[in-house]
Amino acid sequence: MTLRNALFGLYALLCLGAMTWPGYATFGNRIEPYVLGLPFSFFWVVAWVVATFLVLVIYHRTGERDS
Amino acid sequence: MPASWIVIGISVAYLAASLVVGMWPGRKASGTAAGFVAGDRSLGLVVMYFITGATIFSSFAFLGGPGWAFKKGAAAFYILGYGTLGLVPFYFLGPRAARLGRKYGFVSQAEMIAQRYGMRSIAGVMAVISVAAFIPYLGLQIKGAGYVLFAVTRGELPVWLGGALVYGVVLIYVLRSGVLGVGWTNTFQGVFMMLLAWGLGLYLPYKLYGGVQPMFEQIAAAKPEHLLAPGLTSAGGLWNWGEYSTAVLVSILGFSVWPHLFMKAFTAKDERTLRRTVVLYPTFQVFLVPLFLIGFAGVNFGSAPEAADQILPHMLMNMQIPAVLVGLFCAGALAASMSSGDAMVHAAASIAVRDGGVRALGWKLDDHEQRKWIRVAVVVVLLGAYLLTVFYRGDLVSLLLWAYGPVGQFFPVVVATLYWKRATGAGVLAGLLAGGAMTVLFTIQPGLRPWPLHAGIYGVAINVILLVVVSMMTSGAICTQDSDYLDVADTPS
Repeated sequence: MTLRNALFGLYALLCLGAMTWPGYATFGNRIEPYVLGLPFSFFWVVAWVVATFLVLVIYHRTGERDS
Repeated sequence: MPASWIVIGISVAYLAASLVVGMWPGRKASGTAAGFVAGDRSLGLVVMYFITGATIFSSFAFLGGPGWAFKKGAAAFYILGYGTLGLVPFYFLGPRAARLGRKYGFVSQAEMIAQRYGMRSIAGVMAVISVAAFIPYLGLQIKGAGYVLFAVTRGELPVWLGGALVYGVVLIYVLRSGVLGVGWTNTFQGVFMMLLAWGLGLYLPYKLYGGVQPMFEQIAAAKPEHLLAPGLTSAGGLWNWGEYSTAVLVSILGFSVWPHLFMKAFTAKDERTLRRTVVLYPTFQVFLVPLFLIGFAGVNFGSAPEAADQILPHMLMNMQIPAVLVGLFCAGALAASMSSGDAMVHAAASIAVRDGGVRALGWKLDDHEQRKWIRVAVVVVLLGAYLLTVFYRGDLVSLLLWAYGPVGQFFPVVVATLYWKRATGAGVLAGLLAGGAMTVLFTIQPGLRPWPLHAGIYGVAINVILLVVVSMMTSGAICTQDSDYLDVADTPS
């Protein structure tokens, strides 16, 4: 397994943990502060969607030229 | 009533526009089964992006998403959560499936799996599960479309007629243009749906509460538990973290192997397009945010609809809103229903003929005959789902739950087939049947579960165990076809 794949797998686990118990319950689950008008519990999930998009872009761009 | 004519006029104009867009590509695809089912493996990034996104965003997202936020509060965030990682497995599975598709001529998931093990029964079992899942699912889409027209015309257009009108349009463009019709209409409908969701999602909180944050502050003051995960159950009690978390996990696993989505791996023009579709998908996912805002706007609205799913039409019909806006909403809801419904009709018909008829039952059909029979199956499937909607008096959602469980069990099967050299047909079949049965059992009888976790997680566990153990026990049966097969999957084209 390459370092790139290992890091990506690690991110996926981190993201899964952050969107469910225990990560979400511990760090993300409060109403304040509001960010962009959203309660923090809502913003937290949206932030992980955006982070996943960025990670996927990086993972894809650093991939082997296979086409 | 002139206002109602404006609403109907916009809806009819929208249906006509969908029809024109859907009819257009028909002349470009070849007259073969691969042309009709997989678009001659020619789809580019834009169409792939929308075909994936719009196929996933059904009536459930457009009406159910706001319904969840309205009724169950933060529990709705689970939908946003699983979609984030849900398509990621497809980044790896999709290109492998596409290579095999090119080499062996596959256009569906089950035939890809059956080929590796040389077992017709696997294609048969998967075809039956898929078609059984699609018909009630499709019925829900038809009902969704019919209901929206019924609500905005204040009952002037009955549900059966509205459903027939909308799905008549779908029938015409799917029959004529196959997957290309589905793809191009989904592109058109996807853009429309996104614009409308953002428009309404920002407009309603401003109009009703003076902004998004003031809206949430009012909810926080009145019902703080509404904004904290894991949210509420439909009965109104607090949901628990175990079920929330496993629901996210099970949905991530099941997401990419839904047959109508997975078979789009065979439509992309190359692997790069497929991978970029997955990379871009979270940008489509963000479109759930305004839909949840709409639902949260309903929490302190004052009056409530009979069913939570009707919160959006309920608010629109009870506010002083220009008829044009109501008409546009109506068209957006139809777009959501049609863009999932068309992919389901198309997939169910293709699977019934290719996997059920040709693979499992051994019908001898040449390419043109296959295409002809798939078209016949399109009519039969749509008619079946329509009759179910009109005449079935029970609850369609519970029918759907029955079917959902077994489909979710495709994931371990697909992964083992594409990656694991020692997997055998017996192992795959054992895992599939046991996992599916266990999920159905725990869905119907939640009291039997040892821990309060999502029913599907037990199914996946037993599925993986049986797949591995039975494969090990029957491993003498590895045939040379296997090593060829995995080599094809491994080698980038």
